[in-house]
Amino acid sequence: MSTILDLHSHSEASEDSRAPLEAYLNWLKLRRAERPVDGIVLTEHRQFNRAADYRALEDRFGILVLKASEVETDYGHVLVFGVTDEMTRRFDFTDVNLPAARVIDEVAQMGGIAIPCHPGRPNVGLCEHYTRKPPLENVVAVEVLNGGSRKGEDERSEQLVRSFGYAAIGGSDSHLVSLIGLCATRFAHDIRTIEDLVRELRQGAYKPVDFRPRRNPVAQPVAEEVK
Amino acid sequence: MPEDNTPKDFDQIQIGDALGPEEFFLSKDQVRAYARTTGMWVPRFTDDEGARKEGLPGMITPGNMSLAILSKLVTDWVGMGGARMVRLGTTYRQPVIPNHTITLQGFVTHKNAEDRTAEVDIWIENEEAERLVIGTATVQFLK
Amino acid sequence: MALNYDPALIGRVFENTDPVPVSAEMVTNFCQAIGENNPLHSDPEAAARGPYGSLVAPPSFAVTFRNGQHFFQHVPRFGKQGFDAGKDVEFVAPIRPGDSITLSSHVKEIYEKTGRTGSMVFVIVRSTLKNQRGEVVAHVDHRFMNRP
Repeated sequence: MSTILDLHSHSEASEDSRAPLEAYLNWLKLRRAERPVDGIVLTEHRQFNRAADYRALEDRFGILVLKASEVETDYGHVLVFGVTDEMTRRFDFTDVNLPAARVIDEVAQMGGIAIPCHPGRPNVGLCEHYTRKPPLENVVAVEVLNGGSRKGEDERSEQLVRSFGYAAIGGSDSHLVSLIGLCATRFAHDIRTIEDLVRELRQGAYKPVDFRPRRNPVAQPVAEEVK
Repeated sequence: MPEDNTPKDFDQIQIGDALGPEEFFLSKDQVRAYARTTGMWVPRFTDDEGARKEGLPGMITPGNMSLAILSKLVTDWVGMGGARMVRLGTTYRQPVIPNHTITLQGFVTHKNAEDRTAEVDIWIENEEAERLVIGTATVQFLK
Repeated sequence: MALNYDPALIGRVFENTDPVPVSAEMVTNFCQAIGENNPLHSDPEAAARGPYGSLVAPPSFAVTFRNGQHFFQHVPRFGKQGFDAGKDVEFVAPIRPGDSITLSSHVKEIYEKTGRTGSMVFVIVRSTLKNQRGEVVAHVDHRFMNRP
């Protein structure tokens, strides 16, 4: 039973987003035909809200809501899935220059997975850092499809995937209600919890999926396009 | 004012309703006129050569002008029935370069029946459908 | 990276003591520059019949009022400063020709993040605009981006 999740989104908890979670879920319900997303992951900037409990909203809308973080490192931004107290004690999530190699390795050791996001973006993406520093070890996947990407950025990310054999994910990176779910990731298996998600991300049976309305065609062989 | 400026009514608008899309050609003269009238007659908003000296690709549109353009998208949509925009927020993601066609777009994303307000997403796109300025607004409808 | 500034600065209010008079011509020119032809902002007779009882400036006119240089001498700099990254505006009451507007501002927040153009430090300045009757017409949060 496959699952489609938007793996990258920001609610109003992120300082640059203006989207209440409830409005996100309502929008997905409204746009279900064009964006058949089963769930979203909130990847708030430089923070993790341990206490937040979204079960009531999940039940009301029938959409899964998982929590993660987007942190900033010396190799660009990284999505951390499966955040634990130990991780937030070990790493200051508000630090804009975390050591990426340690984040990737130690998050994995602590039961999570850290995935570099928008790698094709200047300054805060892996591609640019790889031109002047050794590549990171133990990277399992990168975010190849990002709803906020500009021309050429996702193409650079795809090149990275081809060169290094990374698995590829997709996410909207939405900061506005109406942009949720435009890019997502299709998993081969059922996902109901953050533990399921971390397990599936480690195993690699997934592909990015693009629900954006077709415009000037851009070759995206890595992502599955849905009209 | 647009052709259809029928005042919007809280009970009739729906989540998912669109504002725009509205396309228009933003000229350099228009940007200069804005810069002049608001006391921002500086090279980056008036002169390509001067802007390049500051490391910009050419003259750019003041953020305040983008805000005013998006504000007008909302107030035009609202019409003259007494509903009022009470809040507007913008984020400038990329410079808005004049002498290009921009598209304004928005959607109603939330309605609050208790206080009769609605939230809208709004943004400016360039010719490549990249979002240069994004924002949200709150409209207060009559009680 | 610890940002270097005096935490007591946050919330300390600086008054802009020079009221800026709003003329009908300023409002007309502003409307022309943005292609605004709503009669509420240009036709006194239509405006008199409208919800505000007289001609008013468009709401976005509120962000055109700026703090003076003396204010920015108190605001910490983090390298190359002052790019307008965005604004959040609360519109409280309309501004009309004949009004005089003063600003009262303070630094609301300072934080850092990284983005496409590299490291950035954001300084948020909140300005409260009042008219000559002391009525609040707007609150404007300006997000200034600095590049260290």
